Amino acid sequence: MVTLYHWEPNANSGKPMLTLAEKGVAYESHYLDLLKFDQHQPEYLRVNPDGTIPAMVDGDLVLTESTPMMEYIDEAFEGPALRPSDPHARWQMRWWMRFFDAYFAPSLSMIGWSVFVGPAARQRDPAELRAAVERIPLESRRIAWRKALFNEFSEEELTESRRRVAFATGVLEAHLSKHPYICGDAYSLGDINGFNLGYALPLSQPERCNDEKTPHIMEWLRKIYERPATRATWAKGRTQMAARVGMLERGAAGPKRDRGNA
Amino acid sequence: MLELYHWEPNIFFLKPLVALAEKGIEYTGHYFDPTNFEQFRPDFPANRESQLQLEREGPVLVHDGAIISSSFFMLEYIAETFPGPTLLPADPSERYRMHAWGQIIALTLGSAVATLGCERYLAPALRSRAAAPLRAQIATIEPLERRSAWAAVVAAGDDEAAARAARDRLALPVARIEAALGRSAWLAGSEYSIADIDAFAMLDPLPSLAPAIVSQRSTPHIDAFLERMHARPAVRAALALSRTGRPAEAFVPGAEGSRWG
Repeated sequence: MVTLYHWEPNANSGKPMLTLAEKGVAYESHYLDLLKFDQHQPEYLRVNPDGTIPAMVDGDLVLTESTPMMEYIDEAFEGPALRPSDPHARWQMRWWMRFFDAYFAPSLSMIGWSVFVGPAARQRDPAELRAAVERIPLESRRIAWRKALFNEFSEEELTESRRRVAFATGVLEAHLSKHPYICGDAYSLGDINGFNLGYALPLSQPERCNDEKTPHIMEWLRKIYERPATRATWAKGRTQMAARVGMLERGAAGPKRDRGNA
Repeated sequence: MLELYHWEPNIFFLKPLVALAEKGIEYTGHYFDPTNFEQFRPDFPANRESQLQLEREGPVLVHDGAIISSSFFMLEYIAETFPGPTLLPADPSERYRMHAWGQIIALTLGSAVATLGCERYLAPALRSRAAAPLRAQIATIEPLERRSAWAAVVAAGDDEAAARAARDRLALPVARIEAALGRSAWLAGSEYSIADIDAFAMLDPLPSLAPAIVSQRSTPHIDAFLERMHARPAVRAALALSRTGRPAEAFVPGAEGSRWG
């Protein structure tokens, strides 16, 4: 049986969770609380020495890169195909996943960490926090956590991240105005990736992502939320973060100003 | 109809040249010089995806009207579309490793190797040109990140810090590739794949650009891997397409480093 180590159905953790659910693959779930640094505890470092989540174990294989993990799940298990068979559509899917992973997500998460992850983690004892940061194996992750925990994001960095989020939202809206899904007519890993990145955009970016300005993104998010696999996956969420998905319910009250959660 | 727009066989441009040679596929080659900004001419094939792709500059493949950019995904496209050797491992776990290497290399070496190569070769070449027309040319580049990448090369003059940071960013991915090549002959495992073509194109300049990090002494497995790759007829054929005779000096700005510091 597949074992998945994950946090909330959100961002990188949510990618394999939703992919496994779409394929109908049962898995042994290990919930790690990112805000309590469970991912840097020795038990988990034995699974993934980098201390990043998610990680998936299938037999002898340990998978730690979330986007390639989705391709593996689609390839290795029975169930509906989540990648188009046409090579050009596949190329398009991969192009979009990279755009989400390496352009859109880092900017969105920088904003999210500055307003949500940092303040939430700062509730804890500072000495304990500093010790927790020192235990992080990867230097790049140590730097990211320090910035979030001690609020070291510069105004310049945050302004640039907001600009990129606005730009990427526009590129996505333009694409979805021509195609119902990322690779055309069929639902694919590109949509799973994009939903994990963007399901809360209408709450975290209400001025940029709403029914008037980005009707195609809104319709795309609602359509994905209506899928049974999405409902089942977000039901595994334990925090307010995952609960934000409820605003995609058709007929739900319009977004109120989000207080902090991004 | 298959056309490849490419430059000197180095870094991003080298990858499809090797893959197409491995497959033995006929195509029409269009050689262009990105340092003369020929990729911004109106008749150069471009679309939203090629303009926004995160390597910023690189080869463009046009197949029956479809424009394919972004060098690792181009390798996947070539591997999945054309007959000949598959260049994809049959085993799903090796395929996962192939995808994971493609991602890791794009996000690490794709930025650091281009930075070091530009600092040594492209920056002096650009600075020897008349400054005003060069500035004017760069000012028209879209999107902003692609423009900034060119402007950064010109400005990098005495920026030893940027080169040092790029060298620092090489250490971890190089150590992991060295370890992987110590475990198996090829990066994904037992079978030669596009992950090897991808890694070769980005690693081959490093013994010269960062000898303290990649050398026969410090990374014997990478050194042997580069030698194995150079012996392949497809790699020889790709490198023979050089027009300058110095492909190892041909660099363009690549992906940006992580914005998280």
